[in-house]
Amino acid sequence: MNEGQTKGFWYSEWAFPLFVACLSSGIFAGTHLYYVYHVGAFNDIAIVAMLEAGIKGGGYGAAAAFGASFLFARVLEGPLVGILDIGGSLQTGIGIGVPALMLSAGMTAPLLSFPLALVTGALLGLIIGAVIVLIRTFTINAAKSTFGADVMMGAGNAAGRYLGPLIVISAIMASIPVGIGATIGAAVFYYFKKPIAGGAIIGAMILGAMFPIPPQ
Amino acid sequence: MVTWMIALKSMVIGALVGFGVGAGAARMFHAPNVQGMGAFRTFGELNACAGDPISHFSFGLGFFFNAWASVVGAGALTQDVDHRILPNWTAALLLWKNKNVEETLHDPKKMAIVGAVVGAVVVTLLNSTATAIPQSMQLVATKVLVPAANWLINPIMPIVFWMAAMDAGKRTGVWGTVLGGFSHLVMGNAVPGIVLGILIGKGLDDSGWNRITKTLVTAVVLLFILSGFFRAFDVALLKSIQVDVPQWLIDLHEMFGSVVNK
Repeated sequence: MNEGQTKGFWYSEWAFPLFVACLSSGIFAGTHLYYVYHVGAFNDIAIVAMLEAGIKGGGYGAAAAFGASFLFARVLEGPLVGILDIGGSLQTGIGIGVPALMLSAGMTAPLLSFPLALVTGALLGLIIGAVIVLIRTFTINAAKSTFGADVMMGAGNAAGRYLGPLIVISAIMASIPVGIGATIGAAVFYYFKKPIAGGAIIGAMILGAMFPIPPQ
Repeated sequence: MVTWMIALKSMVIGALVGFGVGAGAARMFHAPNVQGMGAFRTFGELNACAGDPISHFSFGLGFFFNAWASVVGAGALTQDVDHRILPNWTAALLLWKNKNVEETLHDPKKMAIVGAVVGAVVVTLLNSTATAIPQSMQLVATKVLVPAANWLINPIMPIVFWMAAMDAGKRTGVWGTVLGGFSHLVMGNAVPGIVLGILIGKGLDDSGWNRITKTLVTAVVLLFILSGFFRAFDVALLKSIQVDVPQWLIDLHEMFGSVVNK
């Protein structure tokens, strides 16, 4: 690594909170879109489903605890390994955990208003970025450990692989045509080396449009 | 009208997100000297594409279809928009003109500016087409996806993380098992606990009991106590072992605004 190249604003410590603020402002506003229009949340279906459970009246506990603990773990890990994991910290923490905490406390304004959502997200991002830079100044070069980030990365990828087969099974349990569609879609996507979850959903939707799932 | 509002807001959101992701991804190549932002898997995948614009583009494209299916079905863009599509497509655009990764992919300024453009386009495209899909097809996707997603959260993810913790060594396995079990009890899902268990176990393996690991363990213990209290786990525990809940504890919960059922 050439030391001379890593100088200036774009590489500086204090620019980091600004980048985090941009990203988390967008992510929080994405959750605003989801809350108002039911589209645009920056997270996986599995995790958005937890927030949805809360919106539908089932309590925000799961989403809040899941989001907040991921945020906590990633903010601790980020400065130690030099890479902040945006999936856990911002997309799940700021995008799902914090909104769940706010909604459970009856604070709907930051999620109903677009400008307010942008500002809230940016402020939260600034705080997180500043905390990380602060931790860095105290611990830099003190820890030679990656704190198992490789283990978690492996597990995260492995867990994601289960979603494809789960969707096919779920489609088969929904109805016979939808199940056939999902199976074929998954097979086609696998053949073309694409993640099979996408193929299964598209296959299920095409067959489901022709033969709607009977209401229970 | 609604579609226009969504498209307009999506443009702003996409630009902000793309800017942050681009800068963060480029800074990852200079970690740990410079604090980066993204994910280890993103970093690995960006390296795996070896600066070839076609590889970067097609890698992103695979996830684009997945994200599209997901946003149409459930309104969720997937984490892959930030993790994979935006960084890889931004990289592809930059590398198309200049094959030297050090002047493109590793440059936070270029990645941030091009990222903002890519983000605005991708997010707007995904969000506005999702609203144009007929209601009946959205219903199918939701009916198929929601059960699958619930299975993934519980029990698939806890099992996968748990096994990874146990395979990573004895200390990680023990911490992962204990914190995982407690986390499933207190927070309703084992994954956060297992993640923290891996964090502590590996930290201890690599550097032993020092200031950082001690702070970590203290913080984790506090996290468990606080979330246990705020989810009224203490009351549920006492009730399940048939001990009367003392009045002071009920009063304490009421002080923080939560009502305890006797």
